[in-house]
Amino acid sequence: MKNNIRVERAIKDITQADLAEQVGVSRQTINTIESNKYVPSTVLALKIARVFNKPLEEIFMLEEGD
Amino acid sequence: MKNHFLFPYWCRYLGWGLVILHVPLSILGRSHGMINIMDPQPRDQGIFAGEHLFFICTTLIMSAGLFLVAFAKEKIEDEQIWHIRLDSLRWAIYINYLVLIISLIFIEDVPHMLELNLWVPLIFFIIRFRWVIFRLNRLLSREG
Repeated sequence: MKNNIRVERAIKDITQADLAEQVGVSRQTINTIESNKYVPSTVLALKIARVFNKPLEEIFMLEEGD
Repeated sequence: MKNHFLFPYWCRYLGWGLVILHVPLSILGRSHGMINIMDPQPRDQGIFAGEHLFFICTTLIMSAGLFLVAFAKEKIEDEQIWHIRLDSLRWAIYINYLVLIISLIFIEDVPHMLELNLWVPLIFFIIRFRWVIFRLNRLLSREG
């Protein structure tokens, strides 16, 4: 699964630390999600989407092979 | 994340304190002849024998210390930490059984095998867990 959190963060002009604080996780977790090394749970994905005020599918997309 | 029966964060330091405390205690016990690992038959037998009590105390201190270190919460205990925790536990169990099976086949010293079985899962869990978190932190500092 890929995501465009990095792009959305740039649009909203917030840092990884800001996003981490808003969704209640560590900065490491946001960093690994952004680099596609960790797939978040549905709850965390929904929380992230809510921060950006966008539907889940606009932030997270399935890749081929998923 | 909700509380998953983990100890508070400060318990980690208490745990390391107990692990460190175990070292001079064992050395003291060995130098005073209270523990003799080379002697298969202890001099005084029984549950309340000094030698046995000393062994139980030091073993308990070490186990409690490792247990606290392993199962104390992180500063931010999120779902990724929980995931790493579970994965490290899985590896610790694999390694433990591997060591156990190998020692069952090749070693006949059952009491020391029990002791080994007591430490291996916790120590391996701590090493693996800390290593993954260290790598995550390094990745974070590298990417800024």
